[in-house]
Amino acid sequence: MQLFKRFVLITTIFTAVHADEQRDIILPNLSVKLLDGKQVRLSALLEEGPLLVDFWATWCAPCKKEMIFLEEFHQKYNEYGFRVLAISTDSPKSMSKVKSYIRAKKHTFMVGLDPNQEIAKKMNALLMPTTLILSKDRKVSWYHQGFIPGDEKEIEAQIRAVLELGQEKAGE
Amino acid sequence: MRKYALLLWAIATVSAQVSFTGNTETRIGESSNGYYYNETLINTNLQYGAFTNWIQLEYSDPPELGRRINGVRKLRLEYENGPVTLKLGDLYEIWGRGLVLNSVDDQPIDRDTGIRGLSLRYMTESFTGQFITGRADISQSSIYALDYDTRTHNYHLPYNLYGLTMNKLVGDHDLGVSFLQSLEQHPITFPVDTLDIKNQLSSISYSVTQAAFDFYAEYIMNQSFRFIENGWGRHRDGRGLYSNLNFYFNLFSLNLEYINYRFGKLDPIARWNVVDNYGYYQPYQNPPVAMHIHENVLMNRISHQTDFNNEVGFKAEFMGSLANNIEFLAIYAQSNRTHTWVMNDDYTWRQQEPLSYFPSFDPTAMPFKDFYGELIFYLLQNSLYLKIGYADSEDIVDLLQNTMTDTSQTLTYSIASARTFPLNLSYALGNGWSVDAKLELQWLQKGYWWYEKQNDQVMADSMMSIFLDDEGKRVDNEKNSFISLSIGKSPKWSVTFTTDQTSIKEAFSSTEPIVNPLEDMLGIDHEKNWVNIEFVYHLTPSMRLSLMYGSLKGGLLCKNGVCRIIEPFDDGFKLGLIAVF
Repeated sequence: MQLFKRFVLITTIFTAVHADEQRDIILPNLSVKLLDGKQVRLSALLEEGPLLVDFWATWCAPCKKEMIFLEEFHQKYNEYGFRVLAISTDSPKSMSKVKSYIRAKKHTFMVGLDPNQEIAKKMNALLMPTTLILSKDRKVSWYHQGFIPGDEKEIEAQIRAVLELGQEKAGE
Repeated sequence: MRKYALLLWAIATVSAQVSFTGNTETRIGESSNGYYYNETLINTNLQYGAFTNWIQLEYSDPPELGRRINGVRKLRLEYENGPVTLKLGDLYEIWGRGLVLNSVDDQPIDRDTGIRGLSLRYMTESFTGQFITGRADISQSSIYALDYDTRTHNYHLPYNLYGLTMNKLVGDHDLGVSFLQSLEQHPITFPVDTLDIKNQLSSISYSVTQAAFDFYAEYIMNQSFRFIENGWGRHRDGRGLYSNLNFYFNLFSLNLEYINYRFGKLDPIARWNVVDNYGYYQPYQNPPVAMHIHENVLMNRISHQTDFNNEVGFKAEFMGSLANNIEFLAIYAQSNRTHTWVMNDDYTWRQQEPLSYFPSFDPTAMPFKDFYGELIFYLLQNSLYLKIGYADSEDIVDLLQNTMTDTSQTLTYSIASARTFPLNLSYALGNGWSVDAKLELQWLQKGYWWYEKQNDQVMADSMMSIFLDDEGKRVDNEKNSFISLSIGKSPKWSVTFTTDQTSIKEAFSSTEPIVNPLEDMLGIDHEKNWVNIEFVYHLTPSMRLSLMYGSLKGGLLCKNGVCRIIEPFDDGFKLGLIAVF
């Protein structure tokens, strides 16, 4: 038992120390069910360019605040091959309103469904919202948990970094 | 098992083809009222070629809720090749909308209905078939079993099960069939015994998706058998229906949901007794509910508990955008039991005439109704967010007496009704600074309604509140408020101050409150206030530290329509660390 406790402790320290070195993490080539019923793999979504994956739910207010900016970035950087995939973690108890919400907000980004949070667990989305930016080779270039106003600046900076655009000048 | 898990982990890590990711979550807490926990969860996900492996390790002494585990908590190996997916280990699956199978691991309420076994799925663009077999060990809390405890489950049900589900897509139409059989070892207390029960669930579903509307319907039949002497004897039959119709027009949508669950008709006393009643709704089912799951704290605390065995209801939801920066939502939900209930001369219950297929307001059918409306504004180029809501609910929780003669009736029931005003305002100040304020005000009524009629004359028709003021006088309402104020600097940190206040000391509470220095400093009544402060700091983008100090009010916590009573947390600290690697 002591050995196991030590293993847990060492693993925890190891992960904590290496947590910020996740640029080398390559995600599994997961399959995501989209709102229109189609199944699509991460590799297919990344063919055109980097992808921002956002885990959200209709009951999550900070998620909705963040999604307004995600829609803006999805449109602004689409010409560079960048896209947004917002994966809803709504269970069957609330999934009937996912499409309604997306339509009401006129969001044009892709929407995935993950009702038993299987994809969320594989992508380490423990809190809502969780935002990941993936480069074309499925590497996680940035990861963030939660959303407070102002985070959109950091999100955009990370999008520009993965697109190798350099930082935007004021008024650009 | 641990040895195998470590071996697998080691082999996978050294392999060059491995994609490896995971996370750790540590939670430590200690309060002055003796609530202590210390738990760490480590999730690892590995992919090597067509194989994926998930291992969840837990070290807890004890966990926040549930029994302590030191070792491998969950383990799953997946193999995927073209249309075939094979899973071996801990399975969490949803079939359709969860009427037959919806296994979940809701750790905040320690509800785990996962299946340890094998799943084989074949999926193409137009066809999906899945076979599943395994064992589900499902624990729950029940006052009808021995050793009831608010932190650890006291009632355990083992199931051996297998099942098959298939879906065929033809154009926009999807047709599905499912069958699941479980063999259950069901412990009962009167008399103490363990019964062998067989449950067979069969369902058929249909859905269609169009630009202007979606429709989904699923009908389920449940048959249960009890093993008596040398064979299986028919025990119970049940059925259920769920349907969902969504209309979309421009920026508006109307969502209609209807439930009609008739897995069992248990009387008002016995309906929550899952120990001595068997062969009805099964815990690995987890179907939709006809109610709004509220985001705000105070409404969640008085959430309606759906009787999955016997409830008919609907939910109508109208939502949309009035402009680019204004959203609205209006929801009305209503449900009740499928029959009214009346007492015999010996005070046992019997069901009266069945009601129609739509809910009614007859109090002897224990109705529930809820209205919720909200408006959300995004102003000043999305830097100001304002949400204003209003909720009005009424729930007849328990029917206590309904005796009738030709000339008289005595009816008593417990009722909870509330009006709640939630408000949320957040504003981005610039340079990453932001403020957020949440305010919830609630007027709550709880009590016993007494109705008496004799010879066509109403003798009594009033409610006796359970709330007493400080002088011991009965008052109609309990006024609750929840205020949370945050300031944050993106993307690094935020501090939140929260106060949870009530106007009434719980009438039957006998425990002495523990003084929280924060409450002392603010000079507020310790018996009616719970104050805490939380600091969240992102050490790195993938590592989040949270530290809370203060008190938290206990009460009902609901996740996915299932509720659990959580103990209060008085004058203590909570530490949380989440790291992704």
